[in-house]
Amino acid sequence: MIELHRVGKVYAVGPVKVPALSDVSFRITKGEFVTLTGPSGSGKTTLLRLLYRDDVATEGEVEVLGDEVTLLSHSQVAALRRSIGIVFQDSKLLPGRTVYENVAFVLRVLGTPRREVTGRVFDALRAVGLSSRAQAYPAQLSQGEAQRAALARAIARKPLLLIADEPTGNLDEGMASEVLDIVKDIWAGGTTVLFATHQGFLAAALNRRTLTLQSGRLVKDEG
Amino acid sequence: MFGFLLGEALRDLRRAGRVAVSAIMLITLSLAALGAFWLLSSNLGQAVAQFRERVKIVVYLKRESPAAEASALAERVRRMPGVASVRYVGKTEALGVLKQVLGKDAAVADSLAQNPLPASLEITPTAEGSTLEGARALVTRLATLPETDEIGGGVDWIERFAHGQRLLWVFGLGVGAVLALAAILTVTTATTLVLHARRGEMEIMRLVGAPEHIVRMPLLLQGMMQGLMGAMLAVWVLIVGYALLGPRLEPLVSEVLGVARLAFLRPLNIVTLMLAGTLLGGVGGLLARGRPEA
Repeated sequence: MIELHRVGKVYAVGPVKVPALSDVSFRITKGEFVTLTGPSGSGKTTLLRLLYRDDVATEGEVEVLGDEVTLLSHSQVAALRRSIGIVFQDSKLLPGRTVYENVAFVLRVLGTPRREVTGRVFDALRAVGLSSRAQAYPAQLSQGEAQRAALARAIARKPLLLIADEPTGNLDEGMASEVLDIVKDIWAGGTTVLFATHQGFLAAALNRRTLTLQSGRLVKDEG
Repeated sequence: MFGFLLGEALRDLRRAGRVAVSAIMLITLSLAALGAFWLLSSNLGQAVAQFRERVKIVVYLKRESPAAEASALAERVRRMPGVASVRYVGKTEALGVLKQVLGKDAAVADSLAQNPLPASLEITPTAEGSTLEGARALVTRLATLPETDEIGGGVDWIERFAHGQRLLWVFGLGVGAVLALAAILTVTTATTLVLHARRGEMEIMRLVGAPEHIVRMPLLLQGMMQGLMGAMLAVWVLIVGYALLGPRLEPLVSEVLGVARLAFLRPLNIVTLMLAGTLLGGVGGLLARGRPEA
């Protein structure tokens, strides 16, 4: 499903080279739930961005869903992303659209027939416990609800892989646990999950395989 | 899918607000100017065509010939290239025409000791013979006839008129082009504003793997919609302008150009204006596209 081999990423800031990832190698198989942890600035987001080709590794090989992502054309990147659901620390909900419209939007842009959209949007909203808030705008949602809406948007397309980049980073412990429970349900449905968090209590609560990054290096792969 | 993208484009158009309205107005202005010049030019073209149909070349003869000789001469001229028909006008007929022209003053002609008017051949050229080159060649040929005293009429003045018509058309195109350029730049500005307002949508579309042409399509469509709206307004302005000014200008046009009625643009011209507007808006939308992201 995901395989990284000696991956490195260096950002050039003028003449200064800043290493963000060094010599990272691991493998995630289909159906796994893997937690990616480490302190802020350890390279978690950089690593995740390499997986959905929002950025390109400067060294090594990144293989996702059978594709070497650094070699993909624009259209192949788009095709890869159609199989990946992504959620972020900030929910990235579109402010001028309701929860329903936010979820429906991604289905429509990917060509889902109009008659199927409503059913699939409500399936996704039910899965995250948000069907009663379908007509609410993002500004009317709590942070926990906004993250659940973002999760609904990510899973409405039934992705093979869910990449969660600190979706609980802005939430208190109670809300974070709620979101985590939903992610676990999604995983139980057969979706491979890579869940990034800097919150140690969540990683401990998950009790799953955990990859730990420190200063851009993979220092632990356990569980 | 197209309906969805069109809906997105409409949403974008609302976002662009006043700038979009300015762009639509500029497109209206440029196409209305172009359409007005087109209308004038096509009416002048119609007048030129009518003038060409009425062109006559008159060969004044040195002396009046007996009937048999006159018809032989007319037949000889009729066989010349560029000649459609020939009519022999004798001295008596010419005087009769003069009297008709003089009307109540016809008695003046009667007081003449002798008929001073020459016999002539009235020649109607073919379409080929009505062009500048064709008419000049025909005049040269007619001048070689031993019976010819003098040649009147010609097409030089019509050519000057046609040249004026072409100049008007070029001037109209120039004005239209300058305004069109301004319109494109305004649509580009409007679309750039939309692009900023839309970056959230575009980011999400890219993240979920929408093809790039789907990501860009709403921007292109909203530009095209601005163009189409501008063109429709321009046609409306032309229709209203024609309805208000046409009847007032017709007497003048009839007097000067000999055209009974000021004609409006043909349906094909209107369709062309609509397409031009849509294209202008589309170009503006495309210019604001920017660089696809990695």
